[in-house]
Amino acid sequence: MRQAGVYSGMVSGGRTGPHLLPLARIKKIMKKSGDNVKMISGEAPIVFSKACELFIEELTRRSWMVAMQGKRRTLHKDDVATAIVATDIFDFLVDLVSSGNSINPLDFSPVEMETVLES
Amino acid sequence: MEPMDIVGKSKEDASLPKATMTKIIKEMLPPDVRVARDAQDLLIECCVEFINLVSSESNDVCSREEKRTIAPEHVLKALEVLGFGEYIEDVYAAYEQHKLETMQDSLKGGKWSNGAEMTEEEALAEQQRMFAEARARMNGGVAPPKQPDPDQTIES
Repeated sequence: MRQAGVYSGMVSGGRTGPHLLPLARIKKIMKKSGDNVKMISGEAPIVFSKACELFIEELTRRSWMVAMQGKRRTLHKDDVATAIVATDIFDFLVDLVSSGNSINPLDFSPVEMETVLES
Repeated sequence: MEPMDIVGKSKEDASLPKATMTKIIKEMLPPDVRVARDAQDLLIECCVEFINLVSSESNDVCSREEKRTIAPEHVLKALEVLGFGEYIEDVYAAYEQHKLETMQDSLKGGKWSNGAEMTEEEALAEQQRMFAEARARMNGGVAPPKQPDPDQTIES
């Protein structure tokens, strides 16, 4: 069964234009990222804004591919988690998802796992 | 649910605006696909974490180069080191584009000062001429209380 909308959306990217994330907010996050953060040039947040956009796009795209495999049209948190675990460069995000609700089969005995799957 | 947009919460991390983030997310997907609330929140958290990661690395790059201010070049280097080298080209292009647009704006500002084509005397003369024309038009329609002009072209 062909899903006409899916592929065209992916190919064109669907971008209507650059979205500048608020530079002050980015700067704030940058300052909190460590103890000895140096001064930040006015242009650095602009670079970050674009980098964030690309990052989100990649994570979203990968999460969407997971959802598609499950034949779903809604992106769930677990799809994002799966995409993170599956991508090397997203290793730094693993902590964000492992402490959440995602189920790790290795944590359960076979009997417990069956209960989990049934719910 | 706590409002995330309030600035100044001391221990809370600053986050990114949900509306802008949601727009970016939705544009990546086909129009009929929905994104669960918790997935959206997670994506935003990941983005903040991404900034943290790249900031730390940029800071290190900056230190190694013995500079005092984190510059775009440091950020680009950090991206490469962290495995996001694919982004560098687009990021740099966007940065250049932004510089170009900002430069054009300041050029436009400069142009205004050279836009005047008349000297002050010429402008004044032009103004007098227009007043005279307007006065003439008015005299044609209404009987003026005073008639300073010797030519009474229309008044009987």
